[in-house]
Amino acid sequence: MSLKYIDEYRDAGLARQLVKKIQAVSKKKLRLMEVCGTHTMSIFRHGIRSVLPGGITLLSGPGCPVCVTAQKDIDAFVELTKIKDVIVTTFGDLIKVPGSGSSLANEKASGADVRIVYSLFDAVNLARKNKDKEIVFCGVGFETTIPTIAAGILIAAGDKIDNFSVYTSNKLTPPALAALMETPDIEIDGFILPGHVSVITGTNAYRDTFEKYDMPSVITGFEPIDILKAILILIQQNEEGKPALENAYPRAVSDQGNVKAKEIMNRVFEVCDAPWRGLGEIPFSGMKLKKEFQGFDAALKFDVNVPDMPEPKGCACGQILMGLKTPKECALYKKRCTPMNPVGPCMVSTEGSCAAFYRYN
Amino acid sequence: MAEEKILLDHGSGGKVSHSMFAELILPLFENPELSKQDDGAIFDVDKGKLAFSTDSYVVDPIFFPGGNIGDLAVNGTINDVSMCGAVPKFISVGLIIEEGFPVKDLKLILETMAGAAGKAGVKIVTGDTKVVPRGKADKIFINTSGIGVIPKGVDVSGGNAEPGDKIIISGTIADHGITVLSSREGLRFDSDIQSDSAPLNRMVSSITSSGCDIHVLRDPTRGGLGTTLNEIASQSRVGIKIDELSLPVRGAVQGVCELLGFDPLYIANEGKLIAFVPEKDAGKVLEIIRQDEFGKDAVIIGEVTNEDPGKVFLQTAIGGTRIIDMLTGEQLPRIC
Repeated sequence: MSLKYIDEYRDAGLARQLVKKIQAVSKKKLRLMEVCGTHTMSIFRHGIRSVLPGGITLLSGPGCPVCVTAQKDIDAFVELTKIKDVIVTTFGDLIKVPGSGSSLANEKASGADVRIVYSLFDAVNLARKNKDKEIVFCGVGFETTIPTIAAGILIAAGDKIDNFSVYTSNKLTPPALAALMETPDIEIDGFILPGHVSVITGTNAYRDTFEKYDMPSVITGFEPIDILKAILILIQQNEEGKPALENAYPRAVSDQGNVKAKEIMNRVFEVCDAPWRGLGEIPFSGMKLKKEFQGFDAALKFDVNVPDMPEPKGCACGQILMGLKTPKECALYKKRCTPMNPVGPCMVSTEGSCAAFYRYN
Repeated sequence: MAEEKILLDHGSGGKVSHSMFAELILPLFENPELSKQDDGAIFDVDKGKLAFSTDSYVVDPIFFPGGNIGDLAVNGTINDVSMCGAVPKFISVGLIIEEGFPVKDLKLILETMAGAAGKAGVKIVTGDTKVVPRGKADKIFINTSGIGVIPKGVDVSGGNAEPGDKIIISGTIADHGITVLSSREGLRFDSDIQSDSAPLNRMVSSITSSGCDIHVLRDPTRGGLGTTLNEIASQSRVGIKIDELSLPVRGAVQGVCELLGFDPLYIANEGKLIAFVPEKDAGKVLEIIRQDEFGKDAVIIGEVTNEDPGKVFLQTAIGGTRIIDMLTGEQLPRIC
């Protein structure tokens, strides 16, 4: 019988056994942060909070790429739509994110050519077919997306497609975790480390941060069994006072990660400092195009100048992403800020913690 | 019809329009009401209550595995009328066609509509055709309206759900939405999933004439099962509890949902109904639905409670609970 990788990791009996075990070992009050937005979604979808002991609090971290994209970058995407003969391409989640004045969805409704693509290669092909247009891709993503952007740029370079460019707003996960640990007042007792990102980075990418801060950390997948197992390990590590970096997702994640993807990523991009919405500038947490690929940099190709605007007043997205506040503690939550009319990015993306809280709580 | 493409003239109301009606439309749909070619259809109705419903169809792509925009438009309105507890009798069809649309595609769509109406035993008795300049509509849009007669003693409404009612779904969820999405440009999946587009009028007649007490009938189309259950919870001011393990979802549909991050609970169906039935009759109604050709996979998925009125809860496979909210925002544009 073949393993379908859905049913097996949602096995009700196995899950209930894990829940029992968690309840048996859990004594201390603990605050555990799931770093990745897909984990946040999965935790809600499977009702995981409702089966955990009262002392365990799950916090949603800065792991939804849309949520951490700087407002200034959103403003730049919006500006790009106003340039003649430019088609702006983006993943669907980004389209409704409000910048300081508008969103891609607003501009689309007003007649701008904004298209949702499911893969960067669709954007490259659009450029191939529309030689009289400039195709710009809004490059928002973590280690999971950056290699595909790099691969697209390599294809465009190889095929000499010169009407294609990317506005890069890439983010790297391990530096963000390190920055989080340096934040005053932070109260985190363990990290549920991302699954997809770790497929690329490998377990080793977290080793420096782990060794510096001795923080219980477990990489895991997205099914309920994966997540419950990670929570159990984090509780055990805390109860026994033995923090460790563990990989509970060995079916997908290795120590080295995806070497080929990293190689492609590093051929096209180099590490740079990057602004995170709500968190500010984090050193070495971004990736910009290397000099030889700067012809594909939309920020250089088009003169997009957007001023630094303050983030919306009262929006607690930044503190929520750091686990300092829960969505319910934000003054705007469910009042001025709803999925129908989002103020902050955490309410827009389906993986945003505010949107997830709104939908499932 | 000699032309290969639809011209603006076909919507002019003049000679070319008339020849399209006479040569293409009338032979396909011929019935006494339509053949009179009056401005509207005139017909006798039984004494009692009528149900009347309308819907517009803008699905993209217009042809998809398991159907096309034509049978979708006919079945959709048949089902809307049926969900009022009515026996659908007459349908109107409004076509809005983009200039240059291939006549052979139009013919295929109309043939499918005639086939769907015939299969369901419903007559298309009046219609209209407009042609808009190229680029002003995308290929073809169809509006259908339908009239049906409610048999004596039948009283179903979204506001009639009562605590203790069992909730039955007539088959697998999310087939239509995922099929249409999978047939879109740039997102082709190699799978055998098909739209579930089907007329449910016979299934409804069997249920309503069974002597069983039926409180609510609804077809969970756009917004999916999750949204429909929320509508009923709020209309009836009751709580609803469903069990994740009982939800019927095809493996391939579940797979596409997992890949693209969709929740099957919010994906459109076009040939499924949910019935709210008092516990005493639930087993019998389930059996009746299962005997219908479109109800073989019917199951009980949950029940109505008097806790948390207006809210829908899902008992997850792992034993947790979560709220099922109404769909917010457009998950899949132009799905029907």
